[in-house]
Amino acid sequence: MRSGSESLLIGEGLSYAYLERFPALEKVSLEVSRGERLALLGANGCGKSTLLKILAGLIFPDHGSYRAFGEEVSAERLEDEQFSAAFRTRVGFVFQNTDAQVFSPTVREEIAFGPLQLGLAPAEIEGRVAEVTQMLEIGDLIERAPYQLSAGQKKRVAIASVLVMSPELLLFDEPTAGLDPRSRGWLLELIDELGRAGKTIVFATHELAELEWIADRCLVLSEDHRPLAEGAPAELLADRELLLRANLIHEHAHRHGAVLHSHPHERGHHGRAG
Amino acid sequence: MTDGASTPGWLLAGAEDAPPLLCSGKRRRGGAIEKTVGGLARLIREALVSEEIAARRGLLQRLDARVKLIGMLGLLIATGLVRHIPVLLGLYALTLVLAAASRIGLGWFAKRVWFFIPLFSGVIVAPAMFSFITPGEVVLPLGHWFGHEVGLTRQGLTSAALIVCRVASSISLVLLLTLTTSWSRLLASLRTLFVPRLLVLVLGMAYRYLFVLLDSVTEMVTARRARTVAAKRSRRGERAIASFSGGALFGKAHALSEEVHQAMLARGFSGELRMSEWPRIRAIDVISVLTCLALAILVVGGDRALGL
Ligand SMILES: Nc1ncnc2c1ncn2[C@@H]1O[C@H](COP(=O)(O)OP(=O)(O)OP(=O)(O)O)[C@@H](O)[C@H]1O
Ligand SMILES: [Mg+2]
Repeated sequence: MRSGSESLLIGEGLSYAYLERFPALEKVSLEVSRGERLALLGANGCGKSTLLKILAGLIFPDHGSYRAFGEEVSAERLEDEQFSAAFRTRVGFVFQNTDAQVFSPTVREEIAFGPLQLGLAPAEIEGRVAEVTQMLEIGDLIERAPYQLSAGQKKRVAIASVLVMSPELLLFDEPTAGLDPRSRGWLLELIDELGRAGKTIVFATHELAELEWIADRCLVLSEDHRPLAEGAPAELLADRELLLRANLIHEHAHRHGAVLHSHPHERGHHGRAG
Repeated sequence: MTDGASTPGWLLAGAEDAPPLLCSGKRRRGGAIEKTVGGLARLIREALVSEEIAARRGLLQRLDARVKLIGMLGLLIATGLVRHIPVLLGLYALTLVLAAASRIGLGWFAKRVWFFIPLFSGVIVAPAMFSFITPGEVVLPLGHWFGHEVGLTRQGLTSAALIVCRVASSISLVLLLTLTTSWSRLLASLRTLFVPRLLVLVLGMAYRYLFVLLDSVTEMVTARRARTVAAKRSRRGERAIASFSGGALFGKAHALSEEVHQAMLARGFSGELRMSEWPRIRAIDVISVLTCLALAILVVGGDRALGL
């Protein structure tokens, strides 16, 4: 695969409908450059998870084209052994539904699953598993079964199982949902750190408070699954009318702003507005 | 969604109309289905797999998974061929000895086995005991029907006992294998025995969903309990809820299976499950598998020697 091209991901006119009946994405285009951190914003059901799955090469658009790492990504090309191994090594995906992702009998096997499929040497795998579990502070859970873990612990395991493959491109679907404030802070720092380490990150979120910290750019999807706006987090967050249109904030948010969203940025915005 | 739509008044009203928060002394009848479903989910989970038992240091845990699989298959076939109850009882006793040697609590083990027996054999066994299915000498008369004496026959009871013993030994053997082997090893050993890849994959998936589904069942039961207000419920309502939950569960299972598959694909899964390397076959493995197979032949031979 070619590397060094300016844009890592290029999606053009992506449309997708589930079962050819339920539209989930309508003519969405996006471009992500290497090392960029892009946030996908939008109300429930607008198509964020669907878009991420297309970027991960798990489902394929009905219309439009998708190129990653300078190569066209299609169902047919992913049938190719070498192409698919190379693509899967480069792309890591942390699912919204952790239960779907964490399926092995023990945490250790779960984390080793990816590297095993990619044919890494046993010693190398062992070393990586040890390092990543230490980094994510789940060393003492390693012999447990995933169903014996809390939701937050499962999330860490899911993240570990993706990071252990050291992908270039990381896709996170609502990474901080369901985490306690401390874990949430920890995860945001981790994402920030990964971004600074040069990883390209695309993530879906509802948390406006986190945007400025971990996103360079945002793409807002409308409820009819189309692109609504694109820009720097500060710009978008200042556009109250847009946020309302995308159903990202509630109409009365300004009245109870401090209660609904207790982060400094919105309060600052609220101050300016009032 | 936010514009225009106003919260309905009843939602904002106070709780004046709600019944007082007091005990009436009358007990709520626990829904039969609610209890059975919850209990069943727990039991299946506990009974089928235990990575904890698989990690204990016992006799069977020490053997190679492939060896165990072959040995158990041999004994399983023998169990199917045996036609004498004492021989079957002997086989059952053997499984108990193996369980004890593998540090599985005997009471715990036997309870799991006997829990599954009605599931597998109840339908066949119960009618087989009666004279109109298995004719013969009536030992426990139950009355007359169209001029014939109806009751449990000796032949019927014998064949029922035979079935129960056979099922008990078979389930014990299978449980010994699944309990003392980590599931991923077991699947991989199926592959080495030339079981088609697709079948192994399906089995692997089935195992994974089982747990998530069991969680869903438990959650759905709990969620329903949280919303149940009426003290009395009709049988019909309960049955309707059960079938509705079943439908919802099926939908969930399907959506989940798709996502699990995607999650595997995303991490480089390409149709062939790769395992960490197999440990070498040791002398003890070879001896064990030969012992099992010899025993299987001996059992069938001995059984034939006893006559039909
Ligand atoms: N398996 C499916 N079958 C049918 N329709 C689906 C399926 N998955 C998603 N959809 C539909 O596709 C649309 C987009 O769903 P998607 O999961 O991408 O939304 P999302 O932006 O991730 O929402 P959320 O914020 O709730 O996670 C929704 O309208 C949804 O109803
Ligand atoms: Mg989603």
